[in-house]
Amino acid sequence: MVTQFSRRAILAHIGAAGVSAALPVRAIAQNAYAELEGRPWFFLTDDEARYLAAVTDIFIPEDEFPSASQAGVVDFIDLQLAGPYGRGAGLYMEGPFREGEPTQGYQAEHVPAALIRRGIAETDQADGGLKLVDRDAEGRRAFVGSLSQSEDVFQSAFYEELLKLANWGYFADPIYGGNKDYAGWEMVGFPGAHAYYTSFVDDHNRPFDMPPKGIAHVPGQGPAQFLRTNGREG
Amino acid sequence: MAARTLPKTDVVIIGSGWTGLAAAYELAQAGQRCVVLERGKPRHDATSFAGPEEHDDLKYAHQYGHMMDVREQTLTFRNNSDQTALPMRRLGSFLPGQGLGGAGIHWNGQSWRPLPADLEMRSHYVERYGEQFLDDDDMTVQDWGVSYDELEPFLDFYEKVAGIGGNAGNLNGEIRDGGNPFEGPRSEDYPNPAMKQPVATTLFAEGAAELGYKPFPIPSANMTRAYENPYGAQLHPCTYCGFCERFGCGYYAKADPIICIYDRIRDHENFEIRFNSWVMRVDKSSDGKTATGVTYLDEDGREVFQPADIVCMNAYGLWNVHLMLVSGLGTPYDPQSRTGTVGRNYAYQTLAGANVLFDEEIITNPFMGAGALGMAIDEFNTGNYDAAELGFVGGGYIGSTQTNGRPIGHQPTPPDTPAYGAEWKRAVREYYSRSGGVLLHGSSVASPNNYLDLDPTYVDAFGRPLLRMTFDFPENDRRMAQWGQARAREIAEAMGHVETIADWNRAAPGQSYSIVPYQTTHNTGGAVIGTDPATSVVNRYGQMWDHHNVFVFGACLFPQNLGYNPTGPLMGLAYWTLHYMKTDYLENPRPLMDA
Repeated sequence: MVTQFSRRAILAHIGAAGVSAALPVRAIAQNAYAELEGRPWFFLTDDEARYLAAVTDIFIPEDEFPSASQAGVVDFIDLQLAGPYGRGAGLYMEGPFREGEPTQGYQAEHVPAALIRRGIAETDQADGGLKLVDRDAEGRRAFVGSLSQSEDVFQSAFYEELLKLANWGYFADPIYGGNKDYAGWEMVGFPGAHAYYTSFVDDHNRPFDMPPKGIAHVPGQGPAQFLRTNGREG
Repeated sequence: MAARTLPKTDVVIIGSGWTGLAAAYELAQAGQRCVVLERGKPRHDATSFAGPEEHDDLKYAHQYGHMMDVREQTLTFRNNSDQTALPMRRLGSFLPGQGLGGAGIHWNGQSWRPLPADLEMRSHYVERYGEQFLDDDDMTVQDWGVSYDELEPFLDFYEKVAGIGGNAGNLNGEIRDGGNPFEGPRSEDYPNPAMKQPVATTLFAEGAAELGYKPFPIPSANMTRAYENPYGAQLHPCTYCGFCERFGCGYYAKADPIICIYDRIRDHENFEIRFNSWVMRVDKSSDGKTATGVTYLDEDGREVFQPADIVCMNAYGLWNVHLMLVSGLGTPYDPQSRTGTVGRNYAYQTLAGANVLFDEEIITNPFMGAGALGMAIDEFNTGNYDAAELGFVGGGYIGSTQTNGRPIGHQPTPPDTPAYGAEWKRAVREYYSRSGGVLLHGSSVASPNNYLDLDPTYVDAFGRPLLRMTFDFPENDRRMAQWGQARAREIAEAMGHVETIADWNRAAPGQSYSIVPYQTTHNTGGAVIGTDPATSVVNRYGQMWDHHNVFVFGACLFPQNLGYNPTGPLMGLAYWTLHYMKTDYLENPRPLMDA
């Protein structure tokens, strides 16, 4: 039996919180993975993807600008965890492993991909209650709030990693699968990777409203047009 | 398996950063055959750092694309000797480099001279306040053994090599408006003019001036005009693109060791560089009095012995110390007896400040930035104020910079904003282009309890023990930071258009130094310079007391850290050392000072 895989359909199931994970995207090709919609996840399971969409949309909820999952943050995390970063690039992993002081930094015995996988397995329904994605918006906020305050060393490493990945995914160059349509850059007004400001830097308090342009040279729209395109004016 | 032995060379140089390439240039031109061993890869500004690919915030600023790989070599860390040191599993607090140019390709370019009082810190305080002023068991303040007047010609030459832009504050004793009036007399003006200033740093300067201070532009290796250095390198004007620190500059607009030095010596008959070459140890003669060369792993992982008449240690400061410890060079420091010198007087940088958010009339455009773009005052640096009543030594410059607005890292929010959620998102959007700050870039005194040695448990990829760092902020520096932070806040309060001010202090009371958040890549000491072999590893010429043909370079020489970024002082010292090697040592190899 042939089934048509759809990331958007999978993430749409998290809509119980009143959040639509589907962003009406302009089909602009910003990278080799520009259209991830019809491709299976590289690392995540569908359930893990839904969990991540639920958590990252608490971190970065929808307002005039897209939520984390709408901006491709789950796609970003999936790619990161499947790649060198997830496998422990830049991480010394020789033992012995000890808990240590907070000032001694990351001491978890897990590369990021394993940390996220185990973290999801360990925290979802840990209190015997509903799965995260089955909770309403308030229930999800409470879940993330309690995770953020966990004094458990593993859980706090998991939380920090999730928050970092969500932030990276919302604001990194779109070639990495997140920051879709430059959502994060349009929101703050960052013009991106193309940068010659010699004649602007001492021209004080003048708005610089060039639309963003990333590494792949695809021009963005500028914040006002971005909001119109996405039906988000006002 | 026995190492393959290569033909002898005159000089072997460990590392191809700023000091290693300066050594290679000067010694090759002086007729010495130089072999440079670089553990990383070849790279070049034109091909490796070109935009827009280089302008990849995730890859370079957050996943450390240009930095050393901790899987090959890292260190262990603890705050005090009662703790068990654990590996720095991920880079954070500081970011040593790897590859041609070393950390010199991903520096910001802030380029200072040491103050006369910095170089004679012990003498300065003793003369001014008496011996008892430094009578603190938590602190080992020393002179460098080199005075400002002696170092001045070499600081000046380095500034020309790197094309530093700034306003002279003291030209041959004449104090000049617009420069740093506290600096030592300079024999010539900066080779280039100062940078343009954005609104945020201008508001800082106006606030500081209102309080009676003398603000000046931070001396900068970000070029302010087309420039040719004394070696013939051509540099281009800075575009204020906001991708300096953690990035290489494909515009040839930030001085770095590749374009300023390497390109001008790479084809010389006396110059050879071998990449992917990891130095395992420095080898000693049978009587232990000299080094015979170095043993390294070549690009195929084979052990090679490179004999040499002179060994120059130009690795990043921490790794110079590590190489000494694993090679048995010098005597390791013992914190119990407080004897030995290798690893002694490790120090860092003490940072505090006040972040500000401006009202809606201000648009900072934070992405128009450069590594050394900013204004500073020097009233609170070492020796520039009266410390009598304050009970601490040291100090720092207080400044305001606009280095970048890259949105993963630049997310200014009001003090009580939550870490995530709707309110956080709104605040990031609202304040992205409305933030500034006042920073105390403070000194760090050496303490008998802060040191580097070898870890008993953890090893690097080659089976050698990791370097072990034991460090926390000394009480002196905590007092200094609290005082400097208050001065920073006063300036913030005097600035126009300020909506909120948030104090911060990395050395706050009760808060231990953490290796997690980035602070500075200004690790100093561990192999310090001096005139007494009991308290220094090298004599005032940078020559090891115990092995006269080993010369040491870099910030590992600093007896304590000053309130400035280290590149200017360490390059001044490098050219000082090279001068004495060329004019005195080469014709008659021997200890240049009596122990």
